[in-house]
Amino acid sequence: MPSDPTKLQKTKDIGIPSIAMCVARVPNSGRLIFGSSDFKLHEIDVFAEKPQPMPFGGEGHQSYVTGVVLTAPNIAVSGSYDGQLIWWDVENREPTRKVKAHELWIRRLVISPDGKTIASVADDMQCKLWNADTGEMLRQFSDHKPITPHDFPSMLHAVTFSADGKFLATGDKVGHVAIWETTSGSKVGMVEAPGLYTWDSKQRRHSIGGIRALAFSPDSKLIAVGGIGQIGNIDHLDAPARIEIFDWQKGERKHELNNDKFKALVEDLAFDPSGQWLLSSGGAGDGFVTFTNVETGKPIHQDKLPMHVHQLALNESHDMLFAVGHHKIVVSEFKVSEPASTTAEPEKGGGK
Amino acid sequence: MTVSRRGFLNAAALGTAGTFAADMTRFDVLRQSSWADEVKQQGKRVILLWLAGGASQLETFDPKPGRPTGGPYRAIPTSATGVHISELLPKMAARIQQTTAIVRSLNTKNADHGGGATIMETGRIKDPGIEYPDLGAICAKELGRLDSAVPDYVSMYTSTEGRRKGTSGFLGSRYAPMFLSESMQPENIRRLESISDIDHQDRLVLRDLLAKKFTQNRYSDSLGSQTQAYQRVRGLMASEKLFDIEQEPAETRAKYGPTQFGQQCLIARRLVEAGVPFVKVARAWWDSHGENFETHRELCADLDHSMSVLLDDLKDRGLLENTLVLTFGEFGRTPSINASLGRDHFAAAWSATLSGCGIRGGACFGKTDEDGQKVADGEVGAGDLFATILTALGIDPNKEYHVGARPVPLSDFGAKPIKDVLV
Repeated sequence: MPSDPTKLQKTKDIGIPSIAMCVARVPNSGRLIFGSSDFKLHEIDVFAEKPQPMPFGGEGHQSYVTGVVLTAPNIAVSGSYDGQLIWWDVENREPTRKVKAHELWIRRLVISPDGKTIASVADDMQCKLWNADTGEMLRQFSDHKPITPHDFPSMLHAVTFSADGKFLATGDKVGHVAIWETTSGSKVGMVEAPGLYTWDSKQRRHSIGGIRALAFSPDSKLIAVGGIGQIGNIDHLDAPARIEIFDWQKGERKHELNNDKFKALVEDLAFDPSGQWLLSSGGAGDGFVTFTNVETGKPIHQDKLPMHVHQLALNESHDMLFAVGHHKIVVSEFKVSEPASTTAEPEKGGGK
Repeated sequence: MTVSRRGFLNAAALGTAGTFAADMTRFDVLRQSSWADEVKQQGKRVILLWLAGGASQLETFDPKPGRPTGGPYRAIPTSATGVHISELLPKMAARIQQTTAIVRSLNTKNADHGGGATIMETGRIKDPGIEYPDLGAICAKELGRLDSAVPDYVSMYTSTEGRRKGTSGFLGSRYAPMFLSESMQPENIRRLESISDIDHQDRLVLRDLLAKKFTQNRYSDSLGSQTQAYQRVRGLMASEKLFDIEQEPAETRAKYGPTQFGQQCLIARRLVEAGVPFVKVARAWWDSHGENFETHRELCADLDHSMSVLLDDLKDRGLLENTLVLTFGEFGRTPSINASLGRDHFAAAWSATLSGCGIRGGACFGKTDEDGQKVADGEVGAGDLFATILTALGIDPNKEYHVGARPVPLSDFGAKPIKDVLV
């Protein structure tokens, strides 16, 4: 049954003590593995009557956990600002392998659609591919300058695979996107989205923003780039959430979308399998979710979420989303049929 | 006026080597026979690196790794045993023992930009009945020489947010800052082309004559201060080259790097080397209500590099023992992390550093609690910090100015120097 974004309805609102920075979902379940500001991975079953985060144990990360993927139902891999990748046995929640992966802060992990390859990006401006089974590094790419045009350290926040795994895209702070052929490591395209980077040369003399989220359309022809628009007062995230959609093979910008409802940073993007809509989410003080018609560039539906969202997970039928962020996890449904009467009542958040 | 052999040789040697390239410097050295000795043996100087907008103590000098308030960055060991600072400051970490003391227990009670800045500029809360001079003006008065041809107080604040000019308060305009806000070169100090040099001198003589007539039988510190300010015009006009970093060897410019803050630190070094007692370099803007960690990754890189190079350069030139380098702003930032991953204003438990002149390198005074929410040990205020600064410079913090009949101590009533950070 197709989903209907206009039916979006929050079904769970779970308070957590830490800031959830990233999430992976165990297939066909409500079990989420999330990485957190307490330097830990946690598992939580959001469909449980009283969901409680259960921390992973052992010698884990030494900083914020900013990326997590599942390579198999029982194996999670996490990345952190400590530069390490850690493989975990999900059942007993213990680490099984550690790899010193990057010299600087790991910003995001993604896994290839076939589950065999992990991509990591970090502030050493490298994208590295890893064998998901063995932990061996397969390849590394870089097309991102370590220093911004204004002589400050740059950052590499975003990475994504195409749906067929053939392409990989990386996006940096100043708005440069490189697109790679995964198997050969050849750069096959690039787009520029400088409107996502704000440099204040006069009032505050530093920068803010950058590309925070990337997603390929299901046919790999389009790439969506997310972040925040030009900010007047860069003390705050005080500009419209911004998405640009490119036909990257033609080098054409198809849409340039400044959200007129939410001033926020876009932290995550996802196309639906038909390619009709693009889901974006993120936040500033609060959070938001927006479904955009890919053809017209117009919003189909958008709503506020109760926390700044750092990452999303979708279910298999793409009609339920799991958002993790600032001291909360929120589950929402957008099914064509009315939500089932047994759906749990939203809980009040217990976070700060 | 006599010129001492040592002073002359110093000036000649330095000038020849090209490392003392500012014309004003040589001019000043030759006018004052013992000037070079004063700079290196007695003359005290201050460079204040003003972290405008409020830098986070947790991402700089008081990290809390692993705590809910700690943020993502690690703490790294410094060259001082047992002292850790943020990993965003690796170059400074290598220099703490040799150069720098950290004060981690400031409670300045005012987390408003304007109010906090007033407290940290003057070392006391605002008094509606009196306009206090700021630290720069106090140092200009206490460390400057009446007949100095160089400015006594230079303030660079080129960003516009939070820009404050500084004030000499009741000390009068003689001690007001030369304020650079639009560029790194002082504006409007060149003689107009339409006025000949002779005409310009004649005007000064006439102004002096009229001023003397006006002040006859009138006693006023302010009038005296105004007259002294005019008497220094010719020297200040000739100081332009001190601000020109192109006078420095390319290698030196490269060390300081391409950022504006780095270049202003190089100007600050040139100024103190030439005898300017107080230089403020404002690095704006640390007010990271959103994206605190990304903001500090940028700004700390700039601070870490520029401050380290400045300290090294001062040390290499034999100036660090007589130059006090300070870092603080109007307040710190909240330990709690807001929904935009920012930190807000916070004055209850934050940090400052003091490096060089009169300071015990490697000292780390005061403690905050495990989450950085409160001062746990050694609470000090702005007045205590000012008393420490003045003591480090050899100035009695209890010395009094008189505003009319009212005695006003240099540092606030009851303030005490932090002896643990002083040599």
